[in-house]
Amino acid sequence: MKREITLKVNRLDQTLTVDDADTLLEVLRDRLKLWSVRESCGVGACGSCTVLMDGRPVSSCFLLAVRAVGYELTTLEGIGDGQRLHFIQEAFVEQRALQCAYCTPGFVLSVKALLEENPDASDEAIREYLAGNLCRCAGYADILNAVRAAQEKSKAVMI
Amino acid sequence: MTIRSFELLQPRSLEEAVTFFQKHGDDARALGGGTTLVILMKQRALHYPFLVDLQTIPGLKEIKTESDGVRIGALVTHRMVETSSLIRASFPALAQAFSQIGNVRVRETASVGGNLAHADYRLDPPPPLLVLGAVVTAFGPKGSRTVALKDFFRGMYETALEPGEILVDVKIPFMPANSRSVYLRYSTLSANDWPCLGVAALMTQSSGRCRALEIALGGVAATPVRIDGLEFAMDQVLDEPVIEKLLDRVDEQISPSSDLRGSDWYKRRMAKLFVKKALDQLNSGVG
Repeated sequence: MKREITLKVNRLDQTLTVDDADTLLEVLRDRLKLWSVRESCGVGACGSCTVLMDGRPVSSCFLLAVRAVGYELTTLEGIGDGQRLHFIQEAFVEQRALQCAYCTPGFVLSVKALLEENPDASDEAIREYLAGNLCRCAGYADILNAVRAAQEKSKAVMI
Repeated sequence: MTIRSFELLQPRSLEEAVTFFQKHGDDARALGGGTTLVILMKQRALHYPFLVDLQTIPGLKEIKTESDGVRIGALVTHRMVETSSLIRASFPALAQAFSQIGNVRVRETASVGGNLAHADYRLDPPPPLLVLGAVVTAFGPKGSRTVALKDFFRGMYETALEPGEILVDVKIPFMPANSRSVYLRYSTLSANDWPCLGVAALMTQSSGRCRALEIALGGVAATPVRIDGLEFAMDQVLDEPVIEKLLDRVDEQISPSSDLRGSDWYKRRMAKLFVKKALDQLNSGVG
């Protein structure tokens, strides 16, 4: 069934007609052209399609778009101020925590959710939280370094 | 792959949801978090012309303390159980089981009720809920009724829910004094995978003797299994001969099938090994 919905994406209301069967991934990527949201495994296992719903990480590949109404949705495009990189992105660049970068938006958003929930997360807690984000270039050690660097930056930002 | 078109029905009450099931019969299915149902529909392994969205019904997403236990609403997410200080304090084995499922995004989405109603034999929550003596509330055309979880799983992906009935919540009684519980999950593939098997145990002890014992396993039969016939261990010290006999009870009541997570033979060996580990932990005061 088709219906008109309003999604709040990156602080903007987006009104569009969708099918009940459309996934949030399809709407964000194909309709709203938010290219940071990427499909890979399609079953919630890899983290490439991660978006934040009220700050919590979810897989947009199996979330029905009509069920995302009423939540604050955030994609990578919505963090930072649009001019400068967000400090977590800066940390990823500085630590060279990316190679092909297909997985990077999902990682950055997961790290954002993690640091908001647990700013002082230990290495073990970071590994556990990010275990569902897969990087096939396998830059996990650099990614862990980037999270640590982001933790330092987040403290500087708050001061 | 895209999902075949369907209509999402969004009821405002349990009564309204029931009318949808009465109207559409087998063409309608309840939708909780969607981690299983939406993915299976996306893979075109399943199709329903109508999905009934339980997220629009108020009151199903709460964890409530009652005088004799805790009530978890059907739409409570795995992550809410995992991080709830009440659950962590009252039922550590349950918080442990929920914290190990899939990944954090799955746990932010998947619902407790959906997990139970799906009745997959490998899932982590049923064994700890079985040893805790959990009771499910169902709401249907004839009103509300309760079903003990031990009577809830009827077969592979089959439950005691009648047509038109919705799982509303699961009630967990507080553990008796001097009780400890444990959940051990054993993965043979990646940690994010379904487990090869899971073992939960709950023991009440006094003066070094076992006063109550519950053992349940997942992944080793068509349904989660609660082990019967443990009465002989009451008032006994759980020494090697008693534990051997308990392991025999386990072996008699499981019927694993061979799959990519292990052969029948292997799962039987591992089931006994992990039950022994669980009992050892309870005996030594861990958990």
